[in-house]
Amino acid sequence: MGVRLLVLVVLSVALMVVDARFTLLKPVRSQMSLVLMQSYWITDLPQRLWQGVASQFGSRTELVAENEKLQTENLLLQGRLQKLAALTEQNVRLRELLNSSALVNEKVEVAELIGMDPNPFTHRIIINKGERDGVVLGQPVLDARGLMGQVVELMPYTSRVLLLTDTTHSIPVQVNRNGLRAIASGTGNPERLELRHVADTADIKEGDLLVSSGLGQRFPAGYPVATVKEVIHDSGQPFAIVRAVPTAALNRSRYLLLVFSDGRTPEERANEAAQAQEADRQGGDGAPAVPATVPKPATAPAKPGAPAAPAAAPATPARPAAHAVKPAAAKPPASKPPAATRATPRTEE
Amino acid sequence: MAGTFSRNGWIVWLTFAIGLLLSVSPLPQFMEILRPLWLALLLAFWALYLPHKIGMVTAFLLGLAEDVLYGTLLGQNALILTLITFLVLSLQQRLRMFPMWQQSLVILVIFGLAQLVQLWLSALTGNRQPTLALVLPALVSALLWPWVSFGLRGLRRRYKIN
Repeated sequence: MGVRLLVLVVLSVALMVVDARFTLLKPVRSQMSLVLMQSYWITDLPQRLWQGVASQFGSRTELVAENEKLQTENLLLQGRLQKLAALTEQNVRLRELLNSSALVNEKVEVAELIGMDPNPFTHRIIINKGERDGVVLGQPVLDARGLMGQVVELMPYTSRVLLLTDTTHSIPVQVNRNGLRAIASGTGNPERLELRHVADTADIKEGDLLVSSGLGQRFPAGYPVATVKEVIHDSGQPFAIVRAVPTAALNRSRYLLLVFSDGRTPEERANEAAQAQEADRQGGDGAPAVPATVPKPATAPAKPGAPAAPAAAPATPARPAAHAVKPAAAKPPASKPPAATRATPRTEE
Repeated sequence: MAGTFSRNGWIVWLTFAIGLLLSVSPLPQFMEILRPLWLALLLAFWALYLPHKIGMVTAFLLGLAEDVLYGTLLGQNALILTLITFLVLSLQQRLRMFPMWQQSLVILVIFGLAQLVQLWLSALTGNRQPTLALVLPALVSALLWPWVSFGLRGLRRRYKIN
């Protein structure tokens, strides 16, 4: 018995070391998870059934009320969206003029929460999208109100998401009001983030919205992360103590959004935004086919002068300085063709 | 040892499957910290009453399954469960003679030790658990031991598992 114990202990220690240091065991893990992760799904089943039953037997008046509410909300969002398309286009153009790197536009996909990590000291959740759905390691996860976290473990059909408030997680943020940068670290409390090393004199106050700054190259820039709850200036401390509350409902959201960053150039995006808006205005249904075809011939003639800027822009958010110097010379002639090309599809329509 | 059962061995595996489900079932936030060590409880019982069938290898395999479920390092829970089963097996002759409350006490000590090893391992791997509250599950498990034991003994008698 003692020998068997020794063998098993050595074996498990060896497994732990290998798993911590190398990627050798990843396939084994993902194969095992294929079967075992079903248990999260099974334990989630009662909840799912309850929801199904509740939606089956929802009374008519409730449904009508909900429908009305959703329609109003939809109308409001649509209204905001109309403006957004124009603003996106304008933003892309202005950034082009400034020679700054483009805002990366993201695609999102909906995922559903299927389980919480049973360990109360870690903040991790399991979602129902995995490697086979195109999820990648480190992918940001949002809910309707803000950033939630990032994917830390991939399995074939599920993945594990580390939430912002886990003690091992930190995210680069900036104050939306003035662009002040900071790092928000998790505290292990689902309702609290802490900003580390913020100077006592820094312009940050209660109620400030913190948005992701995109500096860590992990999270896309500009998503709301938290609102500042209190700023404590203690003269005995070298830094101010800043506490913030995550905007996302970290322990309540059931539907999450996975962000896929977009490989398109800013030109194409601007074109597509314009097309979409146009299509919306006309209420036409043939729109989806148009944006795919129109930008191609339009950008082709602009190639000789233009290519450097739009091609490099999405790929190099990290070194805007180097990027800004290079195309500056080629820019003045290049900046006209895109504007012209963008105008042409509109006149054609 | 996970050998072949003469009869109704599948029920043992069914209890282990249920134990796996229970160990990931959602609980309210404040109870999360009290979650009993279901797999360890089941293993302790079966090791106590079927020591020739359920042993450290079974514990090791179940531990690996738990590792995958929890996303911990492969081998961490395997090590813990193997240790627990080893301790139960080595005390098996005496433990079966003990009255229930004394069994519970021994279970408390064994599980507490295992949880301390767990604390140490997770500190090594960087997921530092802040408090000794990690020992709470051992206490809850020890309190649950009589009920689990009664239930499983009834099951064993009913289906004549041996």
